[in-house]
Amino acid sequence: MASSKATSHVPDNSVVERRLRPIYEWLDNGNNKKALQECEKVLKKTSNLQCAKALKALALLRLGKETECCTILDSLTLEKPSDDATLQAMTLCYRELQQLEKICRLYEQAVKIDHTNEELHTHLFMAYVRVSDFKSQQQAAMTLYKLKARNPYYCWVVMSIILQATRGPDSTNPQKRNLLLSLAERMINKFITDNKMEAEQEAQLYIMVLELQQKYEELLSVLEGPIGDRLNNCSISYSKLPYMVKLKQWNKVNLYCKSILVYSVDKWNIWKEYINSVFELMQSPPVVNNHGEPAENGQNDLETVDDTPEKSHEFICRLVENVTTDNGYLLRGPYLARFELCSKLMEKGIDTDLLGDTIELFIEYFRKFGHKPCCVSDLRTYLKLLDGEKKTELGSRLIKDVGISATSIPQSGPSDPYALLAAHVLYDLAQLTQSSEHIILALVLLDNLLNNSPSNFHAKLLSVRLYHTLGGGIGAQTMYESLDVKHLQLDSLGYIHCGRLPTTGLLNLATNLYDTTLKFFSSNYKDSSDHLTFSYKFGSFQKLDEFMDFRERLNNSLHYTTIAVDGIMLCLMQCTTSEALYNLDISPKDNKISWETLRDNHDLSVYQSWDPERALSPPEESEEIKLLFEQDVSFLKLRASIVWAMSAALDIVKSTDGTRNKNVELLKGVLKDWDTLEKDIKTTNYTPIKQNQVTLPLPSRLHGYLEVPYFKILGTLYQFFIHIAVEEVETSNGIVSDMKNTLDDMLNAIENRIESHGKSSDPLWLQRVIMERVVNITEVLSISCLLCLLCHNLMRPSQGKKTKRKSSDLKNRELLNDVVTELKQVSNRFDEILDDWNYQNVISELSDRLLLLNLSADGQTVLNNIRESRVQAVKSLKGILKSKSKFLSGLIV
Amino acid sequence: MTTLRPFTCDDMYKFNNVNLDPLTETYGLSFYMQYLAHWPEYFQVAESPSGEIMGYIMGKAEGHGENWHGHVTALTVSPGFRRLGLAAALMNFLEDVSEKKRAYFVDLFVRVSNRVAINMYTNLGYIIYRTVLEYYSGDPDEDAYDMRKACSRDEKLKSVIPLTHPVRPEDVE
Repeated sequence: MASSKATSHVPDNSVVERRLRPIYEWLDNGNNKKALQECEKVLKKTSNLQCAKALKALALLRLGKETECCTILDSLTLEKPSDDATLQAMTLCYRELQQLEKICRLYEQAVKIDHTNEELHTHLFMAYVRVSDFKSQQQAAMTLYKLKARNPYYCWVVMSIILQATRGPDSTNPQKRNLLLSLAERMINKFITDNKMEAEQEAQLYIMVLELQQKYEELLSVLEGPIGDRLNNCSISYSKLPYMVKLKQWNKVNLYCKSILVYSVDKWNIWKEYINSVFELMQSPPVVNNHGEPAENGQNDLETVDDTPEKSHEFICRLVENVTTDNGYLLRGPYLARFELCSKLMEKGIDTDLLGDTIELFIEYFRKFGHKPCCVSDLRTYLKLLDGEKKTELGSRLIKDVGISATSIPQSGPSDPYALLAAHVLYDLAQLTQSSEHIILALVLLDNLLNNSPSNFHAKLLSVRLYHTLGGGIGAQTMYESLDVKHLQLDSLGYIHCGRLPTTGLLNLATNLYDTTLKFFSSNYKDSSDHLTFSYKFGSFQKLDEFMDFRERLNNSLHYTTIAVDGIMLCLMQCTTSEALYNLDISPKDNKISWETLRDNHDLSVYQSWDPERALSPPEESEEIKLLFEQDVSFLKLRASIVWAMSAALDIVKSTDGTRNKNVELLKGVLKDWDTLEKDIKTTNYTPIKQNQVTLPLPSRLHGYLEVPYFKILGTLYQFFIHIAVEEVETSNGIVSDMKNTLDDMLNAIENRIESHGKSSDPLWLQRVIMERVVNITEVLSISCLLCLLCHNLMRPSQGKKTKRKSSDLKNRELLNDVVTELKQVSNRFDEILDDWNYQNVISELSDRLLLLNLSADGQTVLNNIRESRVQAVKSLKGILKSKSKFLSGLIV
Repeated sequence: MTTLRPFTCDDMYKFNNVNLDPLTETYGLSFYMQYLAHWPEYFQVAESPSGEIMGYIMGKAEGHGENWHGHVTALTVSPGFRRLGLAAALMNFLEDVSEKKRAYFVDLFVRVSNRVAINMYTNLGYIIYRTVLEYYSGDPDEDAYDMRKACSRDEKLKSVIPLTHPVRPEDVE
């Protein structure tokens, strides 16, 4: 409802509503142009209708006219709007602009005008939620509760206090934290005493407060009392188990677990707690059994505590015997429990005789569950129970069991897993022999598999990896597309393809996938503040912490930041005019990269693996992956330096004399940091991560970066650029020869590399690495061209005031001409080198090998596919070089 | 070997092994987040001893009066963990929650071509309540079965008397 004061010259509500409706409709349909026209129309009739102005701002924003939108928003804010529709439209704008603080200010103003409006106060509360201002949240919720004593508002107050204790600035101060938590507890206690507790969510909040204070005794009594009944009668069964464990009530834990396991033999977490409790009980002095007599027979042994491995083993065995199939499926629970018991015994250095020969446990499990793919991951965890010799014995016994011999594999059952296994082995062979032949074989094999089982995603994932190993971006793209990767998978699986694409030289493909990826991240970050508000709305307080962590995880994704920076690099590479360069949005995440919080969100476990390394820990925790992360972050820092330097240089060109010096200092700072960074990284002497497992990613792009003299070339050019900017008289003549030498060295090296590649007996094996180098060289040349452009623009005599040409000007101009001429020559020469990059894609005896594998294909499709990747990449890179060369010609004066 | 626990946001980073299967849809983030915020108790994941995601179920409670019911929005089990009774365990959980919420019945939609799923649900006590015409868009559109199982609150089993005529998607809420 529009407040009459604020909108005095406006027709009554129904008229306003009728006029505004078409605007909303156009906006909903995404027709922002029409919406804007409609706004103008309405504003012509009623020029001070606030809501129409707010909607106009929204339409403008969606049309990409951010500045105009902000102007309207600013002037509207001064009018202190307080009607819901206007505020909503403005909220949408600020949300889109990611200026969430302004939403708070907006509603703070509004509630002052209309201080009894419950809805406005709710919006104010939610506005604080979006910016995680817990203290203001608490006040807003309290005001609401005083306005209308509804339970949810009270819960919002309590939750806001809890968050101050757990995530606010006071969370690091134990004393303040405790104070806040006990305040929250007192508030709930009062609530209970007043007999106001109604909903499940309120009880959950209570549990949360007690848990945070580690008051497990109280927790147990709450769960066993009337509130617990309410909780359990509602939807979630609150388990008492974790609290019993915390309180080390092993007797209770043991009996409680047994009572569950008898009915649900497949509950793994319960098994783990049960077996753990057995060993805890064994260590502690014997306690008098609460239930008096030990059990005489099996019937009531549910009431006795199992405090020895023997009793526990007996219990497990009874469940193994009695295990009835559930809907016809044999359940794994008790079988795996034996492994867990065995593992614990070994850990404690106790004899495992009671379980018999450990190897027999494996054999039995394999006979029962060997036909399930999960058998591998189940048993893998327990392989540590066998020593090297026993492992070998197990291997040969299993092979015999299945009926595999040197020349045959079992003919029955699905063959896909064998083909996948074979592809893995072929990759291992390729690594052993350092040759591409086996990888080609693996790709043909997988192709064959996919013809029969088109939905086997393991084969697709593997193909993507193998194609990238050989630099076959097009094949990888086809496979990647068939995986239909989307939404969050763009982050978790971004490493398999998206992150590799730029190294293949298929820049168009990279640009497209980058766009999709960046759109996902930015729109979801905006949405993520909504999710927090849902949590309050539905009272799912236990999810709030999780939602906030998730929001940060998404926003701190290393992949996201890398792609954001890389996307700018791609734009720079393809940029050919001053205008395009000036209009580039060049600050990745507004220059704010919080390096400490960056994290690797990659799901590496998606690749099936039978490698022994996987038995020890998940791939995410391996040393190699930690190293890769370090290298990737270093690479990103170097890339960010390139972008920041360019951004600073652009600021210098755009700035007037007054601020120019400040910007020059800024650029100098960036260059100094970049120099130090590159030196530091070089001294660290990173080695590429091992490639012995096909399931781990390819080496970091850092190594490819370090092979090309990025800083040596660009740093020199920037020095020249700074000389021109500050109009220093002395410009070293050496710059041209320095540049020439560095560029020539770079080109000679790649020329040799490409020449020997053509003569190599296995050119495919090297294609990926050489292509990555070629892309990097194109990149450094492109950016050098842009720098020449900036130098050129700096030297343009400023219009209006006719300064007398200084001699330094003339000299700089000459120097620039020389640099440009040199760069042009180098680009042309590189272009010619690429023309000569050719080799025969023939692998001798490939078809014989394929025949041996019973594969009828000749492998040509795969080979052509990889060749085509190179041809297309070279074509697109040559295109860039050509346009850059042309553009350099325009800079010579 | 099942550990059922509430699905968390981070599980979305690990569910590729389940979701890359073409029969499992990966939705936009907001879809999952809405379920997590609104019906966290109905969103459960089954985890293997080694910490992999074996499958998950997402559902909700909705409807008024005698139409108050639990709904299975998605149920999926990774290809590597099929035929181990996981789907049944997940369905049992959802039915338990619905019982506690005093729902009258539990329902779900399934493609009429998905014989495997239909058989499984039948084995779990679900009946084909009605056919929903062209419920799944695609080329061509496909009909859905609306399958139901009564909860204990529906003593007279009124919710599971099959309809004789198919309905249009717009007639289903």
